[in-house]
Amino acid sequence: MQWLLEFAQSWFSELTSLVSQGSKRVFIGYLLSAAIMAIIWLMWQRKLNFMAAVGWFFRRETWWSRSSKSDYRLMLINQPLMLLLSPLLLSKLVLATSIFYSLSDWVVRPLWSSDISAFWVSVLFTACLFVVDDASRYYLHRLMHRWPALWAFHRVHHTAESLTPFTVFRTHPVEGVLFGLRSALVQGFLIGVFVFLFYDRVTLLSVLGANVFTAALNLLGSNLRHSPVPISYGKTLESWLISPAQHQIHHSQAREHWNKNFGAFIAVWDRLGNTLEYGSNTQDLTYGLRHQKPQEHQLVTLYWQPFKHCWRCLRRNKIEPNSAMSAISETP
Amino acid sequence: MNKTLLSVVVAASVTLTGQANAGAHAEVYADFPITVKNYSGSETHSEAYTGQIARHTLHNSTKKLVSKGASLEQTKAYFNGKEPGRVIVDPVSKDGFPVLQTHVDKISKGKNLSGKAYKGLISGMPGGLTGAELLDVLLEKAAATETGFDPLTGYDYTQLVSKFTMGAVFYNQAVDNYLDEKLGADVNPNNKAYKEGKAYTGKEHVWDEAFGYFGAPAHTMTLTAAEVYGIAKQKADSFDKADYNNDGKVSLVTEMAYAHAYYAASFDKGGKTKYLHTIVQAFLDGRNLISSANGEALTAGQRSELMGYAGIIKSQWQRLIAEAVFKYAGSVYGDIEKLETIIEANGDAVKAYRNYAKHWGELKGFALALEAGGVNLGATGVKLNRLLGYSPVLLGNTQVSALVNGEFVQSSSVSMGEYRVQMIKLQKLMIDDFGVEARSKDVTANLAQLVDSLGEALAAEND
Repeated sequence: MQWLLEFAQSWFSELTSLVSQGSKRVFIGYLLSAAIMAIIWLMWQRKLNFMAAVGWFFRRETWWSRSSKSDYRLMLINQPLMLLLSPLLLSKLVLATSIFYSLSDWVVRPLWSSDISAFWVSVLFTACLFVVDDASRYYLHRLMHRWPALWAFHRVHHTAESLTPFTVFRTHPVEGVLFGLRSALVQGFLIGVFVFLFYDRVTLLSVLGANVFTAALNLLGSNLRHSPVPISYGKTLESWLISPAQHQIHHSQAREHWNKNFGAFIAVWDRLGNTLEYGSNTQDLTYGLRHQKPQEHQLVTLYWQPFKHCWRCLRRNKIEPNSAMSAISETP
Repeated sequence: MNKTLLSVVVAASVTLTGQANAGAHAEVYADFPITVKNYSGSETHSEAYTGQIARHTLHNSTKKLVSKGASLEQTKAYFNGKEPGRVIVDPVSKDGFPVLQTHVDKISKGKNLSGKAYKGLISGMPGGLTGAELLDVLLEKAAATETGFDPLTGYDYTQLVSKFTMGAVFYNQAVDNYLDEKLGADVNPNNKAYKEGKAYTGKEHVWDEAFGYFGAPAHTMTLTAAEVYGIAKQKADSFDKADYNNDGKVSLVTEMAYAHAYYAASFDKGGKTKYLHTIVQAFLDGRNLISSANGEALTAGQRSELMGYAGIIKSQWQRLIAEAVFKYAGSVYGDIEKLETIIEANGDAVKAYRNYAKHWGELKGFALALEAGGVNLGATGVKLNRLLGYSPVLLGNTQVSALVNGEFVQSSSVSMGEYRVQMIKLQKLMIDDFGVEARSKDVTANLAQLVDSLGEALAAEND
């Protein structure tokens, strides 16, 4: 009983931390800045007055659709599930420590490492963390689309038919675990390397408890990636940074948009991987998967069906890359 | 009505006070009953460890003398001599912290340190010397310096002599003698007085002597680690905690903290470990067990239980020395970082070099102590000595490599940068082979801080 109470308290505190901590994507500050940007954009691009822009942005058919409601449910259920799974995963500290000791064993620390001041070490660390983390996100995301057994789980995210900032939580726990492992690998590796090179001069430059680069981009509206407003940055900037419009293309049902824009923040990876597609302020897209059934928004389907799909792929030996579509016969 | 209420409150207070006293008494290493059969002397209790406390004051005094550049004659008077009239140089009364005894003889007569120093070979220093011989060499070398420091070798003799004496005398005597062979069934049996006319049995005294060498106040279990730390530092605000019998002075025998007990307290006050209380509790449990035998020979079962308590003390004591090695390896790592920065900037490195040497002396002293515990360290000992070397790596990338005709000889060594990395390996060795947990000055602490700053939460989120 006591255990149950403690668990409920942790659950509640996890949920409240989602909006109260700057390290979370749906931190209230980021949501507010995104809403302000969206309304200004609607007034500017769509020539709406303030009230009309607010009404359009917060329209019920987006925020309270069958699809969005299942996003909220997934958010509520995934939080405690991740809380339970978290201790079972690879610890960043264990990895960082073993990298640190291995480097100390086998590599002579270069002399130049002591020439860099603590400030520039921290800038370098924070930037590296942002860039390598983003690159690994791109790569794993790409794999989630290319490998049928992984697509089975990632397709949960793509069954969203209306996009809101809370669509980030429309994620199968198996995918959450894979992304958690990715994060532990990247962060553990970089911490180990940086502490080996720069000892106690390494700190994370942070704002609101988050990497300063991530926090800045979140403040600049990264929550609008999953939203009804197709904000495009224009081709020049979109060659470097993924705009909300570009990510919405990633969710588009249109065949020409399949397997495009896997990037999270940085667009360079998509350019290198020939998967970049520019956005447009006027684009009007349909989201979700083709031939999607209404029960795709039911919780049982969202949690259980991926296992069935995954098993089907493995049983039919459809495990090689690029066979995602043939294995499950759907987009993207 | 009021009178009735008052009497109830008074009765309750008396009962509670009585219980508290009984509880406190059970926690203190004192007033153990005399169990020797047919004892006819005037003693009222059986515990006795004044010889060990006298040696603690001799150690503290020797350390102080070496640091002040005393002559060999002066330091040897405390280390090797047994002459009467020796004044305690440390600990002495301080403002707000008066101590009871001022002369070694007031504690115990005719004691020295050299007679109890480890006679086994010490491989962590050159020359193939025993622990006792090494201490003699160190004292001689120290006397040739002005403040116990030789900048040419990087030897801080104050620290080397002090930390290695703690290992070669106190630790060795306790864990390799009293808590080892002297716990044998036929040695110092419990059904005989330790010596004719003494108020304690053989086993009682053996156990008490080991406790004395640990250096904890008798009332340790009534104190926190931070309070014991404050007592060893003779802080005025720790006086009340030290003066357990409220006689206005701190008894250097029963109320003071020394040597490894002080280090145990220093690690434990960080909150991660409980060396001090675990060790003292094991001493109390063992002593109560011996007392409960009531002057009869210990049964096989009782001896086995006693060996269990001794095992706890030995393993915890060894680990706390390893904690000190860990801590000072971290200090040396940081010192080299600072030295490299200063040298790079062509700054004045005198103070940084002095700190480096001081911390290295502490590190080496504790590392050598691990060799004196009567346990063959095997490969661990080899790694430890190779990583640490015979001296700190000096500014010209040299290190002491031999002791020839009484002189320390240097030869080329690894660079200071590589030596710094060896400190990381040394810390890892202490984690892997000794299981240290307090981990002061952990050079990898920054890893944990960074991991915390990034947050550990696993999130099911998608881009």
